[in-house]
Amino acid sequence: MSSILVVIEQREARISRISWEALAAAQSLGAQLSLPVAAAIPGAQTESLAAELAGKALAKVVRVEHPLLSAYTPDGFTSALEQLVRAEQPGYVLFPHSYQVRDYAPALAARLGQVLIGDVTGIGDGPTFSRQLMQGRLNGAYRHSGAGPCFISVQSGAFHADAVQAGSAQIALFTPTIEAAQIRTRPGEPFRGSAQTVDLGSAQFIVSVGRGIKGAENLPVVEELAAALGAELAASRPICDNGWLPMERQVGSSGQTVSPKLYVAVGISGAIQHLVGIKGSQCVVAINKDPDAPIFEVADYGIVGDLFEVVPAITEAVKAAKQ
Amino acid sequence: MKIIVAIKQVPEREAPVRIDAGGKWIEEANIQWAMNESDAYALEEALQLKEKHSGEVVVLSAGPERAGTTIREALAKGADRAIHIACDDLGDRDALGVARLLAAAIKPENPDLLLTGLQSDDLGYGQTGVILAELLGLPHASLILHVEKTDAGLTVKRELEEGWFQNIELPIPAVLSMQSGGSKLRYATLMGIKRARTKEVRTLSAAELAAPVASSVRLERIALPQKQKSTQILSGTAKETAAALVEKLKFEARIL
Amino acid sequence: MILFPATLAEPQHFSLWERLLFAGLVLLSITLFWRRFATVLRKILQSKRDADFRLFPLGRRMWDFFWEVLCQAKVIRQRPLPGIAHAFVFWTFCAFALVTLNHCAVGFGLGFLSSTSLAGRAYSYFAAAFAVACAGGILGLFVRRFLVRPRWLGQELSWESGFIALLIFVLMATYLAAFFVADVSPAARALWWLHSVALLTFLPVVPHTKHLHLLLSPATVFLSRGGFSHIPPLAGDEDFGLVAGTDLTRLVSLQAYSCVECGRCTEHCPAANTGKLLNPKEIVLGIRGYLNEYGPSSAEPLIGKYNPQEAPFQCTTCGACEFQCPVGIEHLPILVGLRRGAVNTGAWESDHGSRLFLALERGSNALGLPAGDRDKFIQKQQLPIFDGSQEYCLWLGCMGGYDPKGREIVADFARVMNYLGTSYGVLRKEKCTGDPVRRLGNDLLFQQLAESNLEMLSQSKVKKIVTICPHCVRTIQEDWKEFGTPPPVEHHSEFLARFVSQLPQVQGQEKIVYHDPCYLGRYRNVYQEPRTVVAHAGELLEAPRSHERSFCCGAGGGLAFLGEETGERVSHVRAAELAATGASTVGTACPFCNSMFRDAFAARGEDVPQLLDIAQLTARGLPNDAG
Repeated sequence: MSSILVVIEQREARISRISWEALAAAQSLGAQLSLPVAAAIPGAQTESLAAELAGKALAKVVRVEHPLLSAYTPDGFTSALEQLVRAEQPGYVLFPHSYQVRDYAPALAARLGQVLIGDVTGIGDGPTFSRQLMQGRLNGAYRHSGAGPCFISVQSGAFHADAVQAGSAQIALFTPTIEAAQIRTRPGEPFRGSAQTVDLGSAQFIVSVGRGIKGAENLPVVEELAAALGAELAASRPICDNGWLPMERQVGSSGQTVSPKLYVAVGISGAIQHLVGIKGSQCVVAINKDPDAPIFEVADYGIVGDLFEVVPAITEAVKAAKQ
Repeated sequence: MKIIVAIKQVPEREAPVRIDAGGKWIEEANIQWAMNESDAYALEEALQLKEKHSGEVVVLSAGPERAGTTIREALAKGADRAIHIACDDLGDRDALGVARLLAAAIKPENPDLLLTGLQSDDLGYGQTGVILAELLGLPHASLILHVEKTDAGLTVKRELEEGWFQNIELPIPAVLSMQSGGSKLRYATLMGIKRARTKEVRTLSAAELAAPVASSVRLERIALPQKQKSTQILSGTAKETAAALVEKLKFEARIL
Repeated sequence: MILFPATLAEPQHFSLWERLLFAGLVLLSITLFWRRFATVLRKILQSKRDADFRLFPLGRRMWDFFWEVLCQAKVIRQRPLPGIAHAFVFWTFCAFALVTLNHCAVGFGLGFLSSTSLAGRAYSYFAAAFAVACAGGILGLFVRRFLVRPRWLGQELSWESGFIALLIFVLMATYLAAFFVADVSPAARALWWLHSVALLTFLPVVPHTKHLHLLLSPATVFLSRGGFSHIPPLAGDEDFGLVAGTDLTRLVSLQAYSCVECGRCTEHCPAANTGKLLNPKEIVLGIRGYLNEYGPSSAEPLIGKYNPQEAPFQCTTCGACEFQCPVGIEHLPILVGLRRGAVNTGAWESDHGSRLFLALERGSNALGLPAGDRDKFIQKQQLPIFDGSQEYCLWLGCMGGYDPKGREIVADFARVMNYLGTSYGVLRKEKCTGDPVRRLGNDLLFQQLAESNLEMLSQSKVKKIVTICPHCVRTIQEDWKEFGTPPPVEHHSEFLARFVSQLPQVQGQEKIVYHDPCYLGRYRNVYQEPRTVVAHAGELLEAPRSHERSFCCGAGGGLAFLGEETGERVSHVRAAELAATGASTVGTACPFCNSMFRDAFAARGEDVPQLLDIAQLTARGLPNDAG
C-alpha cells in the first residue's frame, strides 16, 4: 500500500473538470490514509498538461506517453495503464467516472484480477466508498479486500475541483510498449447529434413555454432565456395549435417526449398531456403565476410570479453565472 | 450472425425499496421483476440485426428460478433460444465474478457478437460488458446506440458526453454495451408469448461452470438516501428568486 | 265496395306458350338468384364458427327481431322520414308475399286469391293500400337519393339503387293499375306480364346487390351477439383476432353481406366526420370485398387490399356506428378484431402505441407516470385507504390518480361522499383497468391487467366499486368477466343521482350543457342520472347531438394515447358544438372527455365556457367546511 495513483483525462487538449474532481478526491483519500498521491496523464502529447498538474500537491506526475495514445482506444489505454500500474504498484487507482473511463477501467481492473468500484460519491472511514444503487433510491457502502490495487472512479460533481491543493511535483515520463496490432477498434472523429433539425428528444436543456406567454409577440422573453442556457425552445400544445411555434416543438402526449437535464416550464399550468411528455426530465423548474398550477407538483424548483418579471431576471443571472 | 444477448432480471422500476434485516439488500418478497431496461435495448438491437442479416439470437441470463419469466419475455419478443445460468448467490459475486460465470457459458457458443445492456437498474455497476470482453479476449465498445454490420465487421455509434457522438469500427467477434434509447423497443405480443413456449431454454448450474465466488469488492451495507424529492418554492423579488435558482441549479442540482 | 270501387283485374286463360314462357322465365330467375345466393351462403357457412355463440335464451333475440325487423323501430327512430318510407316498403313486401305467390299461380291458372271471393277482394284492398304507401315511399327515397343526395350515401350515385327503386315502383304501379282495367282486357294481360318481368328481374338482382339485406338482415338481427360492443374471447392458441380470412367468423361474414350501405354509421362516425381515413361502412364492405375475392378459407391478410391498417386505428370506439346500424352489424367487434389481429401479431407499429404498451407492461398506469405520484395525491388529499370495512371502494383510475384535472374531480366527489357520510376507501395500489389496451387489441396486456386487478380486488375484499371514469366502469363490469367475477361497479353519476336530493342545491340558474360520454351513454345506457345531477346544479341544456346520438370527444379506443390525429380534431368539433349552445358551463361525466375539451377550449382562446365534471358541479353547493 504505497501510494494513490489518479488517472487524469484530457478533453480537447485540456484537463477535464471531472479529472480535477478526481484529483481532489485522491488528495482527500491521501490525507485520510497518509499516502502520497501521484497523477498519471496518458496521451500522445502530455507535456503542457503535466506541467499544469505539477503545480498541485502531488508526489509526482507521470506522463504516460505513446503515439498510439493520441486518440482514445480501450485497447491502447488498458494496455498502457496496466503497464503503469504493474510498474508503480499503487494501493489505490482513482479515475474520474467519465464515459471514457467507463469504457476501459473495468477491463483494466479485471486484467489485474480486481473490480472497479465505480461512480463513487463519497469516501468514508475504512476506507469505504459510497455509491448509489437502485437508480438513486439507495446508497451502498463498498469495501475492497485482499491484495492488489483498489480501483475507484468518482462521480462528476461529488468532489469539488477547487478543493485541489496546490504544490509542486516532479514530472516523470513513462513510455509503455504498445503494438499497433494490439489496437482492434478504430475510433472516428466525434460529431454532434443532428444539429439542423429540432431534436427535443436528445436536448440537454429545454425552455418550454405555455399559455402564460399570452401572445406570439412575447416569445423573445423565453427565447433569450433559452439562448442564455444554450437550451432548445419548446412549447405546450396550445402554443403550437395557435401557430406561435411550429408543431415540431410541441412537448407532450401528442408531441415529443423529452428527457433533458433541465426543463424550464414557463407559464405552463401542467395538463396531463404535457406532464407525460416531461416525466424523464432530471430537473424541472416551473414558473407560473398560479400557485395551484399542477406543474408545481412535478417541479423540483418553483417560482410563483409574473413570468415577464421573473424570466428576464433569470436570463441575467444565468448570463452572469456563465461568465 | 450469431448474437448472444446477456440480460438481467431486476426489480421493477416502481418496486418498493425496503431494506431487509441483514441491512445489505432490499426485501424481495413483494417485488415485481422486469427485464433491465438497457438490456431490453440490447435485445432490440440484436433482433433488428437478425431481421436484417439473418442468424440467431440467444439470450443469456444468470439468476434464480424467477429469472425464467424474463427469459420467456425475451423469447416472446423474438429471441430464438435461451441459456439460463441457475444461480441463487448472484448477490455474493462482484462484477468480475458474475462476468466469469457468463463468460464460461458464452465460450462454447462462439458468438459473432455479444451484446449487454450498459448497466443494470439495480446495482448499476455498468461493467459486465467491458469485463466480458476482457475475459473473452474480444474487442469491445460501450455506450453504443446503433450497430451497423459492414463487410469488415461492425460500425457502431457511440455516445460521448455533452451531446457528442462517435463512430467506431471494430472486427467481429466483438462485445458491445448498449445504451438505452438508441432504437424503439417492441411491445410483447400474444403471438410471441405463445410461440415462446416451444423455444429451447437450456439451464446450466453455476457449479458446473466452475466460476469462483470469491470477490475482492464487498457491499457492506445499504441505506436510504436522506432527501426525498419535493418541490422547493423559491420566493422573493424577481431578482432574488432568479439568483437563488441559479445558485440551486449550480450547486444543488449540479446541472449548470 | 265503398272504399275502392274497382276490383283487381286478373287475366285469364294463358295460352300454353305463355305458360311455358312464364315457367321458363321463373326457372331462369330462380337459377340466377340461387347461383349468387348459394355462393354467399357458402361463404358465410364456411367461415369459422363463433366459439362463444349461444342461441339461447331466445327472448332477447325474438324481441330484437320483433322490434328492429318487424316494427322497423331502429330504422324509423334514427331517421324518421326515410325510415317511415323504408318501413312501408318493408311492410308492403311482407303484405305482397301472398300477392306475389298468387300472381305466379295465376300464370299457371292456379290463382287462389280470386277477386270474386270476399277474402280475395279484401286482401287485394289491403295489399293495395300498402302498395300506395310503398310507391309513395319509394318515390320519396328516390328523390332523396338522387336529388337531395345526403353525403353519407357516398359520392357516387348508385344506379343499382335507382334500378331497384324503378323495379319496385313498376311492381306497385302495375299492381295498382290492374284495379282500373277489366279482367279480360289486353291491358290486364299486359300489366300482368309487366309485373311478372319486374318481379323476375327483381329476384336475381337481390343477391347480387346490397339488397341482399332483404334476405340476410332479419337473420343478422336475430343472431347478433347482443350486448354493446361485445368483444368475443379469443378461441384457442391460434386465434389472435382478425388476421386472415380464416379468422372471419360466421357472424362477421353474415354481417358483412348484410350491409345495406345506408351510411348511418358513416353519418355518425367521429372519424369519418373529421377527415380521417376510417369509414365504418367501408370497413364492413372491405370484409365483404375480401370474402368475395378470397373467401373465408384464405390466408391472405385482412389488412391489405380491402382494409388499410390505418383505418381501424382511427376508431374512438364510440360505438355510434354499431348503435345506429339498422341491419344488426356489430362494427366494434370487427374494428377491434382487426386491431387485435395487428397488435397480437406485432404487425402494428406505432411509436405512441408502443409507448403505451411498454408503460403498462412495466408500470401501473397508461400515462407511464411513477406509481408514487398516485400515493402522493392520496396522502395530500387524505383519502381513506380501503381496508375491507368500508361500503365502497373508490376506484381512481389513471385519470383520477394522475391527471391534475381528474384529481380535482376525485377530490370533489370525495367531498360529496364525506358530506353524505358514505364509507369509502381507495386501494393502496391500482393498475390500469386495461381499457385502452383492450380497445387497441392488445389481449396479452389486457389479460395481465385484468387478472392482476381482479386478484387485488378479491384480496382487498372489495364488495362495491364507484368511480368517476366510465371507461373503468365498462371495462371492469363487462370486459373483465372473461377472466373472473368483478364486484359490481357504478359510475359516480349513478351514485350522485341517488343522493342528489340530500345535497344542497346550487344557487343561481347557470346554463349547463351536458355532454354524454360514449362509455356512459351508449355503452351503459346511463342518460338520465347525470342529467338529474346537472339539473340540481343549474339549468340543463341539451347539445344538438345528445343521448344515444352524442358525438364523441375523441379520446376513446386508446386514441387519447396515440398522439396527433389527421384531419380535424374530434375534440375541437365537439367542443365547438357544445360552446355554440350558449351554455356558460360544459358538464362532463368522464375525465377523458374533460381532458380533451380542456385542450380544445385552450386552443379556442379566452371566450369559452367553463368545464366542470358533474362531481364538481355538485360539490359547489356544499358548505365550505364540508369534506
